[in-house]
Amino acid sequence: MASEDQPVNERPKDGFQPTRRAAIATGAALGVAGLAAGSMPKHRAGVFVAKNQSYDGPLAQTIEDGLRACGLHPNLLRGRRVLLKPNLVEPTKRIPHMTTHPAVVLATAEVFANWGAKVSVGEAPGHVRDTRMALEESGLHDALQRSPFRFADLNYEEAGYRANRARASKLQGLYFPASVMEADYVVSMPKMKTHHWVGLTCSMKNLYGVLPGIKYGWPKNVLHHNGIPETVVDINATVGRTLTVVDAIDCMEGDGPILGSKKHMGLVLVGDNLPAVDATAARIMGLSPEKVSYLKIAGRLGPIADEQIKQLGDDYRELVSPFEILDEPHLRGLRAVGERVS
Amino acid sequence: MTSYDVLRRSITLSDCWGYSLNSACATEPAALAAMALAMQELEQDARRPADWLRSLQQKDGSVGVSEQLPRPAWTTSLAMLAWWTLQRRFGGNHYDEAIARATEWALAEKGLAAPQQAHIGHNTTLVGWSWAEDTHSWLEPTAFFVTALRVCGLPDHPRTEEGLLLIADRVLESGGCNYGNTVVLGQELLPHVQPTGIAMLALAGTPFNRQGVDASLEYLLRSLQPDTSAISLCFGLMGLEAWGRKHPDADSWLDDRFTGEAAAPASCHQSALVLMAKFGFADWLIGQLAEVAEELAVEEPNEAAAR
Repeated sequence: MASEDQPVNERPKDGFQPTRRAAIATGAALGVAGLAAGSMPKHRAGVFVAKNQSYDGPLAQTIEDGLRACGLHPNLLRGRRVLLKPNLVEPTKRIPHMTTHPAVVLATAEVFANWGAKVSVGEAPGHVRDTRMALEESGLHDALQRSPFRFADLNYEEAGYRANRARASKLQGLYFPASVMEADYVVSMPKMKTHHWVGLTCSMKNLYGVLPGIKYGWPKNVLHHNGIPETVVDINATVGRTLTVVDAIDCMEGDGPILGSKKHMGLVLVGDNLPAVDATAARIMGLSPEKVSYLKIAGRLGPIADEQIKQLGDDYRELVSPFEILDEPHLRGLRAVGERVS
Repeated sequence: MTSYDVLRRSITLSDCWGYSLNSACATEPAALAAMALAMQELEQDARRPADWLRSLQQKDGSVGVSEQLPRPAWTTSLAMLAWWTLQRRFGGNHYDEAIARATEWALAEKGLAAPQQAHIGHNTTLVGWSWAEDTHSWLEPTAFFVTALRVCGLPDHPRTEEGLLLIADRVLESGGCNYGNTVVLGQELLPHVQPTGIAMLALAGTPFNRQGVDASLEYLLRSLQPDTSAISLCFGLMGLEAWGRKHPDADSWLDDRFTGEAAAPASCHQSALVLMAKFGFADWLIGQLAEVAEELAVEEPNEAAAR
């Protein structure tokens, strides 16, 4: 048995050794993201961090600054289809710090639209089959109603199949909704949170929500049975070109990703390399990325070592504020030891 | 505008039974459309989706979630309910063979169980039905299969009874249900309207976990709001109706949703559910369950006498 709430097959396999064929396929996947499979990137992945952010502040400017700092510019995005994927795993008005704030979604959409991209927003909520209810509870429905941006219910769209480009799990391939298959860029828009099984959920784990429930269930138990860390890597390797904008303004600590407490950080993180962004988020949260199961096996997708990440914007080292994590045996080893804590 | 007009409009706008106006045909919306139309005595119109479901049935008796995806096939339960509804409303045995084959598949299909774990609140050893093959048993698919088996003449089958036990076990102590976990790492999880309504429909008329049922009905009564989405609202109201309860605003909310669907249908899926809730599908279903039980009670002595 497995579920989001059960640690089945979580123990990562030793290393990440794709077959030659898989390595070639992974290379193809990573090549479009500007990375080379089989070796670490020659240039350091950039991660932009902005402090003193608020939901009623100039978020669009911050996000545009972050994208430009990471080397993205309007010419790259003009005419491209950009799918924004917020985290609406199980929204409730009682716990707004569980889900990506609508202001961050709209600000990101505005930036890409101003750059000439064709922007839509999509999500396949993992714990709620009534997507409209998830939209209502998260506040995103009202926000999108006042905008020109279309919402795609990824749980029920027609699905296309792609061979698994990482093969970290035994899944031969993955089904993606049409909106994902057609997107030139998928922008992972997580909420920075603790996770009571894997310690951290950020941009990589958020991409669980691009897979359709109609194929994988509610929860997406097929993935759990194939290993959470492994399938996180598989999805990230196979989904296509990705970027991320992290809502780290009001975050969640403790019993995340659903029932944890609010922790205000006032941050926005931006990047085009998701493992690097998640590793930085982990450090900010006082966790060691090398001890987070899915980051530990994500090496060929991007760097997690601090020295291989080019820090842009505000210095994250000044912003570290350890998040509460549950006092459970499988989480006790996640704490960064000896790292600077503000 | 009649109820038929409402559903026909949502179907013709998309030219299929889909989850949204522009999506492809899928089994769940088609099954709901068949049931909604059958409730309005629109036999020929109800037969179109019901016959389409039969055309989708695999050799092994299962009915996949869509034409494109023959697996997973949790929707076999909804096809069974739709075929049974048509036969119950219009007579005949047009779908007998399809129901029998689907039933055989359903009884062989089992969600995975697991040894009990300390940090998980629900009974992981109970076997119900899963969303996808080789995964754990979850609340909604189990509820759909249990309901289908109860009406299709197997209310006392061991799989039905274990499924009912599973649903009862997944009810949160403070009331309501979610996708199917109750307590994890010592904390009770959140309830949601749609799975609670579906669970209450499945448990209707049974003696299982009455305390949890009562708490869940109270949860539905206090959780349903004017802005509750149409699909959750309909399942929530049907769950209450199955236990003879009614929200004081139910009629006005459903009238609003009916008018809304007539003016601008969201999807065949939603239109069908609004019609089912508005025209008393749950109440009819519970009445039929009692009739099925009576029929089985009569059949058994007759069969014994014949032997």
